[in-house]
Amino acid sequence: MADTTQGVTSSTVRTRPKMSSWRQFKAILTKDIVMELRTKEMITSMGLYSLLVLVVYYLGLSQAGSGFDIELIAAGLLWLAIIFTSMLGLNRSLVHEKDQGCLDALLLSPIDRPVIFFGKAVGNLIFLLIVEAFVVPLFYFFFLTDAEVAGPVWMLLLSLLVGSIGIAGVGTMLATMSVNTKGKDFILAVLFVPLMFPLLYACVAASSAVFLGDVAFADGWVQAYWSALGLAAGYDAAMLLAAFGLYEFIIGA
Amino acid sequence: MTDANTTYAALEVRELSRTFGARKALDGVDLDLPRGAFLSIFGPNGAGKTTLLKILSTLSSPSKGEARVLGLDVVKEAVELRERVGFISHNPLLYPDLSAEENLTFFAELYCVENPAERVTELLRAVELDHRRLDLVSSFSRGMLQRLSIARALLHDPELIFLDEPYSGLDPHAMDILDELIAKIRHEHTFIMVSHDLQKGLELCSHALILAKGKVVLFADKELIDDDEFAATYRSTVGLGVS
Amino acid sequence: MAGPESKKGWLGLSENTWTYGALALGTVLTLADFLAAFLIAPLVLGAGVSQTAIINGIAVSNKLLFSQKIFYFHVPVAISSFLIVFVAGYYSIRFLASREKIYDTKARIGVEVALVFTVLTMITGDLWTRFEWGAWWVWEPRLTTYFIMTLLIIAYFVLRNSIEDEERRAVYAAVWGILIPIDAAISFLITRLIPSSVHPVVLRSGGGLLPTQLIPFLIGLFGMMMIAWVVFRLRMREEIAKERIDVLKSSIEG
Repeated sequence: MADTTQGVTSSTVRTRPKMSSWRQFKAILTKDIVMELRTKEMITSMGLYSLLVLVVYYLGLSQAGSGFDIELIAAGLLWLAIIFTSMLGLNRSLVHEKDQGCLDALLLSPIDRPVIFFGKAVGNLIFLLIVEAFVVPLFYFFFLTDAEVAGPVWMLLLSLLVGSIGIAGVGTMLATMSVNTKGKDFILAVLFVPLMFPLLYACVAASSAVFLGDVAFADGWVQAYWSALGLAAGYDAAMLLAAFGLYEFIIGA
Repeated sequence: MTDANTTYAALEVRELSRTFGARKALDGVDLDLPRGAFLSIFGPNGAGKTTLLKILSTLSSPSKGEARVLGLDVVKEAVELRERVGFISHNPLLYPDLSAEENLTFFAELYCVENPAERVTELLRAVELDHRRLDLVSSFSRGMLQRLSIARALLHDPELIFLDEPYSGLDPHAMDILDELIAKIRHEHTFIMVSHDLQKGLELCSHALILAKGKVVLFADKELIDDDEFAATYRSTVGLGVS
Repeated sequence: MAGPESKKGWLGLSENTWTYGALALGTVLTLADFLAAFLIAPLVLGAGVSQTAIINGIAVSNKLLFSQKIFYFHVPVAISSFLIVFVAGYYSIRFLASREKIYDTKARIGVEVALVFTVLTMITGDLWTRFEWGAWWVWEPRLTTYFIMTLLIIAYFVLRNSIEDEERRAVYAAVWGILIPIDAAISFLITRLIPSSVHPVVLRSGGGLLPTQLIPFLIGLFGMMMIAWVVFRLRMREEIAKERIDVLKSSIEG
């Protein structure tokens, strides 16, 4: 082998570089995106799953009769699809780390644990939004083509965004735990539903306000929308803060 | 900052313990190791070797006692310490779906290495994997994985390197390569290795440590070890035949 | 080493005296509350409804209630279970700070006791709903929140059972133990503040309680909390004894 001692140690004077959380965050985010683009594991499985959920919806509604106004439950159905899809997809993002013991390599590096959390959570948020970009139009196409939506589309999209932020953030934290258990996906579901309940309740309320307008919200649907959205955002803030504080313990255990 | 101070020891461990409830993984370990040394840690399964390594490398924390690695406290100055240590394990700690170059670049970014692209190329050449830099790691052989893993560990130019059973699962050729690489960087670096391979461990080390049930059974400078006495102690604690 | 029997607690009375004394007092108080509820406290104008609703085929705007008596038992249990959940959260925080196993044990026992009390809350709440509205279940804020809290508590035990490594199990359980009270509180807020577009909001009379109502209520609350504390202590004793046996066993096995 060629003499490469010079190359292996970079200098005799050791000046340590300054750590940059931003660089580390970018590294984790790019890595997750590159891996996902290459394997397409998460997105294809989540996309297919959401398609199956829509078929199951049709099954459930197939005998409801032509007078049935699906708009009444449209928001709920949409969020249901997102919830189920997330529960399936979130574990995937942590499995890579666990499989090859790469998580240890991450923990050995001088990265702050919360930065790992943000890197992974933002990655999961991006994947979730991509899947939603697929599911929402499809849902509309399958079930809502002659329905009248009371509010503008951007309000619906905003409620999806606020909810997705919470799902990605809290979901990443929970997946980091559930990936280390015997039950994995089952454990994720058991933790996910009760913990996310307030967020999902608020999001369904906000989205319903957009769909149904004054029909269901006699006191003014716009006000109902904003107050529900505000509460959802409040949940996001509180839970993300909690996740930020607790992640260190979770990932180090 | 202890950078300018080059007189700190590699290890200063005092009464290190790790317990949880009734289970005692480490029980009052005391240790001193000078810089530039190569410490081989032996012991039966469950002796606490991995626990000790984990605490020293900041993957875990002690319940009692304290440890200073390179003059830095493993709990209070963990982040600074991580900048200075490298870890080579029997697991390659590499992402199979990324290429060799992508893997190294990722870790270079984590350590905030200056001129990452250059450094990555430098190391790929050093471990002779430059020609495979764009190939996915999933296509690598065990020996190649280990070489790349060494490159990963050295990216940030650590002062101290932990080795956790690095030879396990390697074929003789791969073992030779690992030997060569370690020999090359032997000067200026401190090594701490856990191994079940008594011969290899003794061959490489300057200091030897035997742990059993979380306690230190023997710790000595290799020069001062009586070979027979060591073999006897090893046999009785680890229970393996020694040729 | 003397056992807990002879350990001196407060005021020179032994631990045992305090524990069993509290149990007796707690039971007496709870019973007193129960009896007072039926014999002394006057009937109460039932909950007002935000709009006249049709429930089970009957137009309802207000109800005069005998079933409201359950309030004297239900609300103390509900408040106690909420408090216990916060206490368990406190022990969880202490565990993460110190990594000492005793706090993990305390948190676990706390959540156990909370489970019992939460289930009692659900049952009494459900009975109340049944007697008041004639329906076996209504997704009103309090019941819904308690249902979610029950699920959170069950999840605590499911999570614990799914992890083999002792220390990881304790850490994850502690994290969840902290999330339970946070999420329960948020759930309560959100279900209260977002009206369900389908069900009428049930407004329980927030007006002042008469002394004949307030006193039994407070007595019941106090008694219930005592019982909770006692059950907690007794269970902790059991666990500590088990721990000691484990330690002895492992030191013998060497």
